Parts: sequence; C-alpha cells; structure tokens
Amino acid sequence: MKKIYTILGLTSALFIFGCSKDIGNYDYAPGEVITINGIEDSYTKIAAVDKITLDPEVSSTEKDADFECFWGVYDSRVLGTLVIDTIAKTKAIDYLISQSPKDWTLVFGAKNKKTGVSKYVISTLKVGTQFTRGWYVLKDDGSQTDLDLFKSSVGIVPVDKVENVYSIINGKKLNGKASLFSFQYNYRTNPTGVYANYRALYLMSDKDVSVVDISSLKELNDFNHLFYEAPATKAPSIVTWGYLGGNYVVNDGQLHSLYANLATNTGHFGARRIKDGVNTPYKLSKYFMMGSGIQQNPIFFDEMSSSFVSCVANSTVLNLLTDGTGNKIPVNNNNKNLLFMGTKSGSPYTGYAILQDKSNPSIKILSSLTPVSPKLTITASDTMKVTDKIYNASNYTLNLDDENMIYFTVGNEVWSRNLSNKFEQRQFIAPAGEEITFIRHRKYAGTASGEAPFKYNYIMIGTKIGANYKVRMFTKTSGNLSPDPAVTLDGKGSVGDVIYISPVNSTYLNNY
Amino acid sequence: MKKVKYFLGALALLALASCKEDAPFLFNDVATLQFGPPLSAIYQSGANAAGANRSYTFFYKSPDTRQDTVFFDIYAIGGPSLKDRSFKLKQVQVDGVNNAIPGTHYIAFDNPDVSKNFVIKAGQVHSLVPVILLRDISLKTADAVLKFNIIENENFKLGETDYLWRRLDFTDRINKPAAWSATYQTTYYGTYSTVKHKFMMDSTGELWDQAFMSVLQDPVAPDPARLTYYMTVIKTALINYNNAHPGNALRDELGNLVVFP
Repeated sequence: MKKIYTILGLTSALFIFGCSKDIGNYDYAPGEVITINGIEDSYTKIAAVDKITLDPEVSSTEKDADFECFWGVYDSRVLGTLVIDTIAKTKAIDYLISQSPKDWTLVFGAKNKKTGVSKYVISTLKVGTQFTRGWYVLKDDGSQTDLDLFKSSVGIVPVDKVENVYSIINGKKLNGKASLFSFQYNYRTNPTGVYANYRALYLMSDKDVSVVDISSLKELNDFNHLFYEAPATKAPSIVTWGYLGGNYVVNDGQLHSLYANLATNTGHFGARRIKDGVNTPYKLSKYFMMGSGIQQNPIFFDEMSSSFVSCVANSTVLNLLTDGTGNKIPVNNNNKNLLFMGTKSGSPYTGYAILQDKSNPSIKILSSLTPVSPKLTITASDTMKVTDKIYNASNYTLNLDDENMIYFTVGNEVWSRNLSNKFEQRQFIAPAGEEITFIRHRKYAGTASGEAPFKYNYIMIGTKIGANYKVRMFTKTSGNLSPDPAVTLDGKGSVGDVIYISPVNSTYLNNY
Repeated sequence: MKKVKYFLGALALLALASCKEDAPFLFNDVATLQFGPPLSAIYQSGANAAGANRSYTFFYKSPDTRQDTVFFDIYAIGGPSLKDRSFKLKQVQVDGVNNAIPGTHYIAFDNPDVSKNFVIKAGQVHSLVPVILLRDISLKTADAVLKFNIIENENFKLGETDYLWRRLDFTDRINKPAAWSATYQTTYYGTYSTVKHKFMMDSTGELWDQAFMSVLQDPVAPDPARLTYYMTVIKTALINYNNAHPGNALRDELGNLVVFP
C-alpha cells in the first residue's frame, strides 16, 4: 500500500512540476558587436601575378577580446554544399592569387575566442589573367591579321607589350586585313566537350573571324565552326548584338543570327536571313548602328535597295523599317549610297549616316537617325557643301555619348565637325610619312570598385608608317583634342581596330 | 485496495497503448491498374492525359522493317506484390475510322507472344505494354486506329476511368507528329500537311518526326536557335521552289498553298 501511495505521490509531484512559471530571460543588455574595417567590396587580381595583401582592423565592444581569424575563398555560383578554401588563418594576409579566372567570393572571419561571437565580411574577388586587362590592337601585314596586347596592370597607360599574341597562342593568323573587334561576355560553346559561357572576343578581318576566350586567348570557334552551316564565301563585315540575346554576323552582306537568350544555344549562327517573302536579294553595308537599351536592335543598310533594315532575335527574316514622322529621306528605296553610319548614343538610341545620292553623286547628306522600331526617323539635317572638309572625308567616327561631334580624316589630317552648328576644325596633322588608317572614339567610365585607374575617354588615331603602326590616343576638351596624346601604342602592321578590355567591364558598344 | 491496483494497472496499460506509430496508408486493399505517363514525366501536370492518343508511322523506317513495337506505360495502384501479376487488354472498336485488324495491322493481344509481356513484375508497380504493329500494305493508303482498354482480371480491378484506355493511330504514310502542337504550329510550322512535312524533310535532310522535334522543343531545354536555323533553311527553300515554278507554287494535298508563319 505504501508503495502505491508513493507512486501516486510521485505522479502528483510530476503533474505539479509539469506546470512551471515562465521566468524567461529578459536581459536586454546589448550583445557583443564585432567591427571589421579595411576590406573593399571588390578586388580585381591577375592569377599567378597579383597578391591580395590586407590587414583589416578588427574590434569588439567586449574588452580584452581575443580574436582568431581566417580568410577563405569560394565559388558562390556552385549550387549545393558551400566549399570554402581556407587560404589563411591569420588576420593579415599576403596571398598570391592562384584561383582560375572568374569571379570568386573572398570571406574574412573573426571570432572572439572568449565569447564565441563571430563576424564575417565578404567581398568579390575578380580573378583575371594577363589577357583579361589591356589594350588590344587588331592589325594586319597586308594579307594576314594578328593581335598585339599592351598590358596595363596598374593604370590605363600600358607598361608591357606582347606582339602577335593571337598567333603565339593559336599557332595561326587570320587571313585578310584587320577590320573590327566585338566583345561578348557570355558566348556559349563547348571547346572542352561541356557547354559553358565565355567572356569572348571576336577578331574579324575582311576574310575571316575567330572567337577567342579572353582569359586564355585560345580560339573557341573559327569561321567554319561559327555557323550551323558555314557560308561558302568568307567575307565577314559585322559582328554585333541586339535585344533579347540577338547575336548577329554579317558575312558577304548577308545577315546570320544566333538567338542566345536561352542557355540551350550552342554558339552557332543560323542560315542567311531572308529579306522578304520572295527572297529579294540584298547586300548589307559594313556600316551599322547598335543600341544598348531595351528593344534596341542593330540598324543595317541594304546597298542593293538603298534601304535601312533591322532585325530581331528569334526570326528568320530581316525587319523592314518604315518612315518616322516627317522623314526627310525615305527609309526604303531612297536611291542613296551609304558612306558611313555609326552610333551616337546607345541609349537613347541615336546615330548618324552620311548618304550620297546615286543619281547625283555630288549630293552628300549628313542625317541623324532615331530608330524606334518599326520606324526609323531620318532627319536630313545637313546637306554638305563641296567646300566642307567632311565632303571629301574618308574615315569617320562619332563622339559616342559625348560632345555632338563627328571626326573624320582628310588626307593626313583629322578634322571635327560640330553636328549642331556645322563648325569644322582641324584636330590633328599626322607627321610626314604617316598615313591615317583608323580613327575611333572609345571610353570607359571605370566606375566599378578598383577600376578608377583604368578609366579613359580617348579619340584614337591610327597611322601607318611603312610596315609599322602608331596609335595615338588623345583626351579632349569640348570635343577638341589635346595637343599631345595621353597614350601611344607602337607596333608592326596596319591597325584595324583597338579595344581596351577590362576584367570587370562586360559591355562594349563597338562600330565604326 | 484491489480497486486501486486495478486502477493503476489500467492506467499503465493506457500509457503503453497510447504511444503507437501510425500505420502507413498503403492503398493495398484493392489492386487496380491504369495507364500513365512515362516515368520521367510522372510529375508533369497533364502528362497522363497527354499520352492517351499516340501516333506512329512506318514511313521513316527502312523497307526491310516489317513490324515495330510501340510501348505504353502502365501502373499498378495499391502497391507492389511479391509475385508477378498478369493483366489483360482488349481492343475496342471506334466508330467511323479504319479499326486495326488483329493479325493484319497488329499482333493480337491474346497471342501468347504478346500477352506473356502483359505483366507487372514482382516488387514493381510499373511496366511497359508492348504493342506490336505490322507493316501491312494497306497502311500505305489508309491509316489504322487501334484503341484498347484494360480489362479486369484476377489480379487487377480497373483504375481511374479516364486512364483505362489508349489509342494509337498508325500508318505507313507520313503523319503529323504530336510535337507539331498548336503552339508550335502558330509560331513556326503553320497548318500541317503531308506535302509540307515532306518538303521540310527534303529541305533539311531531317525526318521531322516526333523524336527529332521533341529534342528541338524539349520543354525543359528547348533549342529555338537551332529551330530558327532550320525554319530559315525551309523558308528559303520554299521561296526558291516557288520562284522556280512561277504560277505553280507548292500546294498541299488539299490544294492549299504551303506557307509558314
């Protein structure tokens, strides 16, 4: 009986203690706060060349904190379990970058050993190679095209040069004369048997194309492998981009496209696009415009019909355009030759064309172009006088997004023309013995972290001196070139195009 | 005192009995059978009904091919069994069509060579139903329709009514692949015709059968770039054909002009 009472008593006790008062922990005293300073949001480094050298300041609201620290690197794009490669277990780090070229995440952790409280700081570690930063010059020797690299690891002024770097890496040159570069940050192909996206640079001559991985300069695709069915004639003139993953190649005046919006594309350009329902022949000029905004697609010019045309990504035909309000020159069948067309502004999308009348070739008109699909507004703003310098010009470039100017060459001189008031001014005289082969306006804002030393805004003038080239790059004030170039590149051959590649930048608006 | 003991004993029994794992609901009271989608598509909405009507053609096969097998997915509901379980199928007649004739257009379902395969294996709940089609000469001029139902036997009751049947339209002529869907018809292919289909084959060297089109139109990883390439080739070929035959543009079997969107 006693046992029974004991069991009942214990059971009762359990019931009683089962309901206890909530006494909680309502201590609202602030917890320990660890502060880490001295780590940037982003670092850009060259693999096997650069070090990451840091010694961040670590402090705590707790007195006498004793920290243990670590540095790690991981690939944030890998799905699943996060694998952190610990590269140091100290607060200060002096680490030679050994990661492969791509974006990594750098993490620093500090833990107060006395309290167990930790703090982590992450930043982006952009790893490039010696090829992912510098000036590239596309040049030819009259029959074959190659690439020179002017490395600029500390600032926009190059410090080192690698000549013929394309043929050194790939064991061949491109046939033909150098024409244009084009950069694509997500070209998809499978050189290793597995499809992946590459930061890719297109090298184009008048007879060939090569797409290279900018990290290694190794060729990803040549002309014959760039298409589902390679065209019989190798005569590329344009590589450019449009809205919704529209990638475009003009070869032998015919438009080929790649709808790259979906990750299933194989990096192959399609068959020649049809112009209309009866397959009317066409031949696109080498001059074009490209925009950088939403629903903005390239503008081409069909030399056979004297018509401006465009395109959209996922289509089998050219997009025929219609006249904008108050067009001074018809978009279609305007009986003009195109002497030049280029982009003035990527967004809002505007450009200029120089048109020459077919019936009366003495009439040359500088017209502004404003595409708003399917319309193209052409304003015949400027019928040139025979006495105007631009009337007899041969090379042209527009001041992209900057002053309302167009630059052109007349003999061995570079001139500018104010597009608002038609004022012309000589900007440069090439020294005796030099022939001007190329002019181009390029700029890079360098707004990303660590990119400030590499920003530039230059008018480039390329000349040929015998078998050598010289590219002078001038800063400008109100559109007028500085007396002396800020950067000069020298090498062998004749220049077709010059581009500055940064491991951070992904957008390169590129036309003549 | 005795009452207290009984009370404590009952309390202990209650305590022991109160904690018991829920028995899983195994649906093993009645075994039923029904058709379903391929195993790879069982989580895709609408896949079950979408597989009810299938088509097949001998057109793409070499002349030596005299018979071919089309497989249908079938599922046992109610869990696996420790022994093999046979099931039965039966052809049903469809009004207004050329119903397939056993022995002429297909091997009859009660033929032992076929019926021996109508089995859900021990430990399995899924099987493939082989339907063996025969390349009869009549298929060159007329399509055949084979509709069949599951019928109840000693192993299986009938499953859901909507999934008890399958229909197979087959021929030895070119036919419209299921991938020539309304969506793709609007965007790429236009109205189906055998003349158009043959023209697409001749222009590209591809069969444009279900297997080929399914890859281009893969719902998970479609390849519109490649499809656009082919359509450009086909459209160009059609224009060139029409230009080469002035006043006699390509028309389909119904006399309509062959056009693409």
